[in-house]
Amino acid sequence: MCHPSLPPVRMAREYPYMAAFASYGEALALGLASGPACIAACGPVLIPSLLTERTGFRPHARYLSVFLAARLVGYMLFAVVAWELGALASMLPAPRLLMMGVVYLLLACVLLWYAYSARRSCAQPCSDSKLIQIGENKNRGVAGAAALGLLTGLNLCPPFVVAGIRAAQLGSMAAALVFFLVFFLGTSIWFVPFVGLGCIVRNQAIITVARMAMVLIALYYLSMGIAMLLGKKTYGY
Amino acid sequence: MATDVRTLTLTRPAPRGILRSLLLTLPIFIWSLLMMGFRPGAKFDPVSSIAAIITALFMTVLFFMMMRTNSTYRWRRIFFVSLGILFPIGFIHNLYVMRGSMGIPIEEMIAGRTPFCFMPIPMLILPAAFTRTVIFPGSIGSASHGIAVMVGLWLALTLVMGKGWCSYACFFGGIEEGVAAIPPRARIRKLDPRWRYVPWAVLLAMVLLSLALFEPVYCMWLCPFKAVSEYVAARNTVGLVQNVIFVLLFAGLVIMLPFLTKKRTQCSWFCPFGAFQSIFNKISIFEMRIDKERCKPCLLCQNACPNLSLSKESIARGETLLSCMKCGACVDACLRQAVVWHIKGTQIAWKPERARLMFLYAAWAMAIMFGGSIIAGGLATILHFVV
Amino acid sequence: MKLRAILGYTAAAATLLVALLTPFFLYGFFSKGVAALPLHVDEVYSGGPKVRTIPMGTYSIDVHRPVYPHFLQSEKPFVQLDWQPVSALPQHISDVVDIDGDGQPGVRVSFDVPRDPKAPLHVDVDSLNPRYESMQHAGKEKYSRLIVRVDDAILVRVPLARQ
Repeated sequence: MCHPSLPPVRMAREYPYMAAFASYGEALALGLASGPACIAACGPVLIPSLLTERTGFRPHARYLSVFLAARLVGYMLFAVVAWELGALASMLPAPRLLMMGVVYLLLACVLLWYAYSARRSCAQPCSDSKLIQIGENKNRGVAGAAALGLLTGLNLCPPFVVAGIRAAQLGSMAAALVFFLVFFLGTSIWFVPFVGLGCIVRNQAIITVARMAMVLIALYYLSMGIAMLLGKKTYGY
Repeated sequence: MATDVRTLTLTRPAPRGILRSLLLTLPIFIWSLLMMGFRPGAKFDPVSSIAAIITALFMTVLFFMMMRTNSTYRWRRIFFVSLGILFPIGFIHNLYVMRGSMGIPIEEMIAGRTPFCFMPIPMLILPAAFTRTVIFPGSIGSASHGIAVMVGLWLALTLVMGKGWCSYACFFGGIEEGVAAIPPRARIRKLDPRWRYVPWAVLLAMVLLSLALFEPVYCMWLCPFKAVSEYVAARNTVGLVQNVIFVLLFAGLVIMLPFLTKKRTQCSWFCPFGAFQSIFNKISIFEMRIDKERCKPCLLCQNACPNLSLSKESIARGETLLSCMKCGACVDACLRQAVVWHIKGTQIAWKPERARLMFLYAAWAMAIMFGGSIIAGGLATILHFVV
Repeated sequence: MKLRAILGYTAAAATLLVALLTPFFLYGFFSKGVAALPLHVDEVYSGGPKVRTIPMGTYSIDVHRPVYPHFLQSEKPFVQLDWQPVSALPQHISDVVDIDGDGQPGVRVSFDVPRDPKAPLHVDVDSLNPRYESMQHAGKEKYSRLIVRVDDAILVRVPLARQ
């Protein structure tokens, strides 16, 4: 009844439910397996910015929710645009390098702006329940978590590329989007423990260290982004 | 609060008697001979033997002076600066003998022959925990520059000294300590205390980036001491940029700023390994404390500290900051003997000399074992050229 | 308070003991302990474990397991091939290597073997299997595509093509 050797597109047409189950199971497995890589890739952005938020599980849970939601938007956005352009299947190195360069530059800018905006972060629990907003005007600013989440979602890390290539083999854009969604869920499970950073009592020292670390990481992303846009080999040893 | 030190009653401890000082130094003398290889059945070559004798005597005399004068900092500094000068001499000479240059060629990295120094240790932990992979092009085994050997040494010395590593073991810190000692007074005196946070930020950033990029990012991009040890030979623009960065950092943080501030600026404002070692001060049994009854906050200790490990708030609490390197500068600077060596759990300022002696025996023994062998190696290199 | 003082002095004495034991016992104990951990040097540096040897008469070709980068490492996946011993190599090498061990040719590797061990090496790799990338006049550009001489072997790293 089931022919495992059938190409995925034909499988999707002739055995739609089984194909869907198999491919979304694959997406979940891929997401779970890619979790450590996602943490490693997102860690330099996520951990310093989490450390600037005030103490408590709730602020951290809120931060992570916004971050992950924005990351999902980044995934979906990329999937839709790339599917429309027909680029999802190939993810050619040159445009991928260009896109990564642009994303790195944007990440650097947002990190620097975030580090600047976090100077008024309140270490102790306070009445202000908002996450750190980028920009001077708190009412119109964008939550830093959202900006960083979106950009990390657009950052074409290797597991994301693998998921993209696999998703492109499915029959329709809707299927590819659902594949990405399930893959995203698999990777996001690994981010849940970061809520535990909320138990670290914040003081001015920790917030200052986190802001300084953001600046250093931003400088690194800036140099890498420029190198990628110039087409330079990042490492040639 | 301005204090006229001329009106203070000088309460520096009287010098210890010569005989008593000699008796206290005797164990160190025996230990020096043992560590320098003078034991039954040991083989000698003339140059190495002369270097070993000089080193053993050097370390013994310094310890004697610590006992005789009841001060620590300036004698320890002589050892530490000597270590900072002689390590590059011996190390760079060995590099030229082995491969003809300070640049590490890719062949050596592939062969796993890159000497391992302690600086990458914090960056190796997470990748090793996640993937059981050591992100350093060395060899793990028991070769003299192997990763296991250096990590084993680091573990043992850290158990004994905590962040005292930065005063008794680090073979890089002596360079800037020597430079800081040159000018009679500091040109830049007002130092923003927030600079103290930078090493922690560098540590956090380097640990996270090293995990993401799976390489020791600090070593590749930021370590200023590549100027006096070794570096990856640049073969493209990015490699060239990396090498320019370390030269600039060395010139700025290790030469210029210590000269202008008379502080160990690389150690206190940048070094992520120092921040990492600070964590071990939490478990170290030895510390510096301030007897609040004797202290009249004149801030002489704060001014004397080369590592900015004393602030007004910490002095008011009667303690140093976590970054304290146990160099003894604050104790020696205090005219009221309010700053004292202390063993955790005991009464502050009750027989502080006992705490000092216990710490110094342990730390100096380690210094002779580790730093002494490096000093002897550097001396032997010089003697080979001279003799 | 007295108990704390006793514990403090005991810990200080223990620290002194640790210092005395370090050169004779502890340092070796810790080093061997670290060496015994299930750790390995990153295969991007070491080239991965050898899986097969292809005898070629007077010399042999060692084929290593393919190496895949971790996380955001900026290296491509590659496979390392070692020609050894160098002393037994002819002046010019042009070998077809079955990397996978499936009986099908994988790549043709061509390079000159200079007499001077310090002379630069360059390699041409023609891909006979879409799994591997070709290289023209490659030197030692990246860990994932190079030719170098290490001790008595010449190492060639062939990048794997994108799947």
